[in-house]
Amino acid sequence: MNVQVNRTDHELMTAVARGNLAGMSDIYQRRHRALFRFFFRLTGRQTVAEDLTHEVFLRMIRYRHTYQAGDGFEAWMYRIARNAFADQMKKHRLETPAEEGQLELVASNRASAFDDMSKQQDLATLYRALRQLPEEKLELIVMSRFQNLTYEQIGQIVGCETGTVKVRVFRAMKEIGKIFGELRKEKAS
Amino acid sequence: MTCGRAKELMATAWATGEPDIDLRAHLTTCSECAGEMAQLSLLWERLGDIPAPEPSAALTARWESSLESMISARRGTSWRFSLSALWPQRPVWQVSIALTCLAVGLVVGSLQSRGGGTSEIAQLREEVASTKQLVALSLLQQQSATERLRGVDYTAKMPAMEPDVISALVQAVNRDPNVNVRLAAIEALTKVSSDPGVRRSLVSSLTTQDSPMVQAALIDYVMDARDKDAMGVLKDLTSRQDLNPLVRQRADMAVQRLTEYK
Repeated sequence: MNVQVNRTDHELMTAVARGNLAGMSDIYQRRHRALFRFFFRLTGRQTVAEDLTHEVFLRMIRYRHTYQAGDGFEAWMYRIARNAFADQMKKHRLETPAEEGQLELVASNRASAFDDMSKQQDLATLYRALRQLPEEKLELIVMSRFQNLTYEQIGQIVGCETGTVKVRVFRAMKEIGKIFGELRKEKAS
Repeated sequence: MTCGRAKELMATAWATGEPDIDLRAHLTTCSECAGEMAQLSLLWERLGDIPAPEPSAALTARWESSLESMISARRGTSWRFSLSALWPQRPVWQVSIALTCLAVGLVVGSLQSRGGGTSEIAQLREEVASTKQLVALSLLQQQSATERLRGVDYTAKMPAMEPDVISALVQAVNRDPNVNVRLAAIEALTKVSSDPGVRRSLVSSLTTQDSPMVQAALIDYVMDARDKDAMGVLKDLTSRQDLNPLVRQRADMAVQRLTEYK
């Protein structure tokens, strides 16, 4: 499928809202990887992340009439994504953290990143620490560190001030540090 | 700068990759914040090393299939969708539209019945009546007695008789060779028995009629019309010996009745 590079997400989504559903194809091409990674990092599961990604694009079509230029396309899309994730959590509580093996499976295509064994072990520990974060903090770290969303955008998505987002991100990072330190101590002992 | 503000700036520094001047200044004076900044910045960097997973090809295949089916379903129902989009979803608006349509219908119907509609119907009725008269007059001219009788029957069904029709019926009473037609014409003219001109014509016809049945019918006509102007003619009939005795008796009875009327 050819992505129409000249048209912005906003223009494409406006056309979709007017009934041109074919425009969703281009939006999918641009956004499906980011959404999949967002969900994968929240759930730690490939199939669940793919199901949620699919669901978000379906919801974009279903709720296309609610699309407004106001906060921008990205904020609108992530609001839908958060709602889809919340609904999923209500239905199937994902309490079991992702296994370390899943990280290794994901990383298998990037062997160069794990050439150093100790670094690989550290990274696996960090991943476990990330997975142990409370849901709200994990979400903030995923959005700010992995999805490359600005604090202002995150504020629009979760509905709070930019300053508040920054403080929460700091606290979340501090908690990761604490968990990471504890996990390393466990491993060392 | 407070340590609280420094925490915000630290988060900004992780995102931008460059600490703010004010933050740098604070870190030189606050060892606690400096320690947090060093530790958490390293952690932030390490998080970036966590590999980015890739979705499977099955996700794209599934999405393309879903999108295709939605587009084709939409094509099939596009006209229905566009019509339904015009209809409001809120019941309040639906009821309002229904009541508005009803009110408009009543007003339009009322205006039509008062105005142009009535005149058009009246015009139509006039045209129908005119056509009926033409048919009746035409039938009264026919050679066939049956057709002339149909003509008389047509005039009897008319709500109002035009002078042309009355004249044609009087002509029929006076001149039609068929007794039944003459009798039917006299019967039809009972509708206009209040017309003195018609009564005069029929009274004068009494003297020229040769059929006893027609004479009797005419006597009944003037008697029912209580036409005292016919008294002279009726008295003449009672004394005529060439008349049918029954006709003379009927004329005599008519004279008595008319005499009784005041």
